[in-house]
Amino acid sequence: MALTGFRSLLAAAAVAAMLAVAACGGGGGASGGGDATAAGPNGVDDGTTLTLWTRAPLEKQAKLLVEAYNATHQNTVELTVTPNDDYVAKVGAAAGAGGLPDLFAADIVYVPNWVQQGLFQDISDSIDGLPFKDAINAGHLAAGTYEGRAHVLPFVLDLSMLFWNKDLFREAGLDPEKPPATLEEYAAAAKAIQALGKPDTYGTATGLNCGGCLVFTWFPSIWAAGEQVMTPDGTQSLLASPTARQVYDTWRDLWQSGAVLPSSRDEAGPTWTAGFTEGKVGLMFYPATLLSSTQGFEVGVAGIPGPNGGSSTFVGGDGIGISKDSEKAPQAWNFLSWLMSEEAQVEVLGKNLDVVSRSDLADNKYAVSDPRLVTINEVAAAGETPVAINFQQAFNATNSPWLTLVRDAVLGTGADLDKNNDEITAVLSQQ
Amino acid sequence: MTAQLSRAAASASPSRSTGRAPATSVAGLVLRTPYWVFTGGLAVIFLYPLVWTAVASVSPHPGTSQVDGWGFGNYRALADYQAGIWQYLANSAFVSLLTVALTLVVSTLGGYAFARFSFPGRDALFLVTLAILMVPYATLLIPLYVLLTQVGLQNSLVGLALVLTMFQLPFSTFMMRISFEAVPRELDEAAMVDGCSTFTALRRVLLPAVKPGLITVGLFAFLAAWNDFMAPLILINDSDRMTLPLAVSNLRGQVQGVVDYGATEAGVVVLALPCIVLFLLLQRHYVRGFMSGALKG
Amino acid sequence: MTSSTLTGPAAPAAPVRHRPVGRALQGWLYATPTAAFVGVLFVLPLLLVMLMSASRWPLLSGYQGWNLPANYSRAVSNRFFVDSVVFTVKYTVLATVLLIALGLGLALLVQESTRWKGLLRTAFLVPSALGLASASLLFYVLYSPFAGPFAPIMERMGATFLGTPDAALWSTLFLIVWRYAGFYMLLMLVGLQAVPADVYEAARIDGAGRWQTFRHITLPLLRPTLALCTVLCVTGSLLAFEQFYILTKGGPDNSTISVVQLIYTVAFQGQNDLGVAAALSVLVLGVLVLVNVLQIRAFSRPEER
Repeated sequence: MALTGFRSLLAAAAVAAMLAVAACGGGGGASGGGDATAAGPNGVDDGTTLTLWTRAPLEKQAKLLVEAYNATHQNTVELTVTPNDDYVAKVGAAAGAGGLPDLFAADIVYVPNWVQQGLFQDISDSIDGLPFKDAINAGHLAAGTYEGRAHVLPFVLDLSMLFWNKDLFREAGLDPEKPPATLEEYAAAAKAIQALGKPDTYGTATGLNCGGCLVFTWFPSIWAAGEQVMTPDGTQSLLASPTARQVYDTWRDLWQSGAVLPSSRDEAGPTWTAGFTEGKVGLMFYPATLLSSTQGFEVGVAGIPGPNGGSSTFVGGDGIGISKDSEKAPQAWNFLSWLMSEEAQVEVLGKNLDVVSRSDLADNKYAVSDPRLVTINEVAAAGETPVAINFQQAFNATNSPWLTLVRDAVLGTGADLDKNNDEITAVLSQQ
Repeated sequence: MTAQLSRAAASASPSRSTGRAPATSVAGLVLRTPYWVFTGGLAVIFLYPLVWTAVASVSPHPGTSQVDGWGFGNYRALADYQAGIWQYLANSAFVSLLTVALTLVVSTLGGYAFARFSFPGRDALFLVTLAILMVPYATLLIPLYVLLTQVGLQNSLVGLALVLTMFQLPFSTFMMRISFEAVPRELDEAAMVDGCSTFTALRRVLLPAVKPGLITVGLFAFLAAWNDFMAPLILINDSDRMTLPLAVSNLRGQVQGVVDYGATEAGVVVLALPCIVLFLLLQRHYVRGFMSGALKG
Repeated sequence: MTSSTLTGPAAPAAPVRHRPVGRALQGWLYATPTAAFVGVLFVLPLLLVMLMSASRWPLLSGYQGWNLPANYSRAVSNRFFVDSVVFTVKYTVLATVLLIALGLGLALLVQESTRWKGLLRTAFLVPSALGLASASLLFYVLYSPFAGPFAPIMERMGATFLGTPDAALWSTLFLIVWRYAGFYMLLMLVGLQAVPADVYEAARIDGAGRWQTFRHITLPLLRPTLALCTVLCVTGSLLAFEQFYILTKGGPDNSTISVVQLIYTVAFQGQNDLGVAAALSVLVLGVLVLVNVLQIRAFSRPEER
């Protein structure tokens, strides 16, 4: 009767679904077409069209790089930009169906996971052929290395640095040329600027509802003290240590004293740097890629201090590699090897006041003209890039246990610190 | 347009007024002041967000493309973004119009079948069509991506329109079914006694009778396709094939930790304007759509 | 009226007059495009979702073999599962009550036909021409402590629209009411017009007051409309996603995670596990089918007698 037709339709659909799965399933292998080094150390430049994906916050740098490459090569790179929050969804959909672009960039903290899942091709041999291999940022290389094989090169480096507004320092009677050397001094400076009582002006700012921002700006304080945030294998959280407590307590005190931009409490990331950029915040831990967007006031740059001195930075930004689905690996490698060249690093990134990915180019002619860039490039070498398979879920996700920990420790009672730290470990150690 | 709506509403209401006579005298007007204030206030609440956004998009604000004085800086930033706003408008228009066309054809034929024919599997098919409303949108997109890739329609505006049409079917099929059911059966039966085929009867006799339903279905399909964000995000790869909502979303988050509010406001205005204009033009039919209403959300 | 058509099977099949087999064949012919769309673009992907829910299926590497009950138990034991269900139900109840009460109130306010009321109707309706994503973006700016029109007031009061769990919930509800109140007002208007005028006439002759008329005549006769509104509103609210995704991202302190937001998070923001996300989706689908069947039954039974 009425149902039989429907049932046969269902059966037909089920068969078709199985076929679809059989055709696309098990796409985990990391073997795309062609060996990247087959055609020499610089790959192949033969007029091929390559596709490249990145996320919106890096669009400026990506666009400059792609334009410069296209102008000097026969290959053409086509750039696709995706809103930051939706990038993982887009890459995930494509990865499952074998539709990844030739090249794609990924937030460096996601890279270990994506490499392990086989999204990138092994480019160890090609990287080994680069004469300046040892000068390439080690943190990024390490994040993309799985079972001894390298899959990812640094695309754009982004470092967290202590930025201070020299104009506001002067007004508050602080030495505008001397950055705070400890977290304590940092807090004192923030309170001094707050004490000016200027309307709409605050001592410091952060993103207390933004796991990624907090990782980026608070981990370095712990590293500066010579300690770690996780065990080396990235499966256990060490964020309830006495040093970590000192960091939370400093921020708790700052928050309670009213020296923190009030909207920091709810800041989920989209506008976390806006206050400083507009000149309304005295000092803050801030992304170095935004150096060129601070205009209208004088800015100083230093490494992020620990509770009792020292300095460090989070070497963030994006790594880039050749996707498992690319059948144009030699051509894609041509772009990557050019990306690492002095021409791209200095004449494109350096010229745009961005951090270069090679330590041997740290004091290039553009950096030398701005001492702040030299500082950034120097601190970059001492910075760290944490590696954990479940990093995104443990720290960056909007419902991450790290966010729960910080909000409790800074805005709440702090009584659950150990419990929350265990929760981070539970997520990190998931298989 | 408002007058037309009023006429539609008037057909049933005047004779059953609940005893409130129209205020004609001066005293009546004074007595009605609280009423004017109250209803006027409500209207302001509903219109304020739209008006404010339109005004804010041309007023100066630091951190946007319109820093000094009033002007169209935010719109220029939007216009110059990547492939240019015209490309994105054209893509959005193409996808929306194709979705409208497909939705009209499929739901007219389907509605006709459900309303006038009895065939095995009819009720099951109708129920399954309605069930589209009950599945979380985001979860269906991944399998759809896989499927479209298999047939070479991924990263294609046509494939996107097919998916958007599918999501429109619950509402449009339902709407067309009751539109056909509202037409007296004698009409098409008379045509068939005259020797017309069922298709000729549909084309010559029934289609003119369900025109309001068609317009409503078309309008809804347009609004949904024009505004959709998730489907193009997942299904489209090339930046020159992106639709307008995607471009706006990209533009507002270009710098880490800073939202370009100006670009967002301009983008909302550009996204909303065609919808509002179309809505006002077709308000009478839009209203009719709700008589049977079934819409996601 | 409408609610019985909504159920489909309740509608009597057309009496077959000419060549029954031919008519059935023709019926299928006309329904073929619908069947093709629904079959290929809905049923097939839905089956794939069910398959995912029964398999190990990481977002980034695809099908990795069967693991049938595991995804479902992991879905239910997700640390936000209970919270998200509670929140979604709370949100659904609030949104449904607000929208239906306001929709009915606005409809009663503008049901007579005057120029001013026509203008009011248009004002209430214009927001529903916007897409939900556009509307959410609009309120994202409106609620912003940087660029919104209320920024100075917020700063003086030290409160923000999305800062506390309650504020975030009510701010989101306001957006939804703004976007959809006109929509439900129209549904109610249409229902009100279907009430025969002589019923009111009779009530007035009997000396019934305004409230009595509303309580004993308008409301019972509006039953089908109320049923339709409730079904739509409950289904829509249980699947709420965009408004939370754009405005709150589930925050603050994980207080506004709706079930679909949880599905999205599991799939794309962290776990990246399509198997568990698909299991959650299948659960949601099951609940929605059940809820809708129950609702339609509850509303339609008295009518059938």
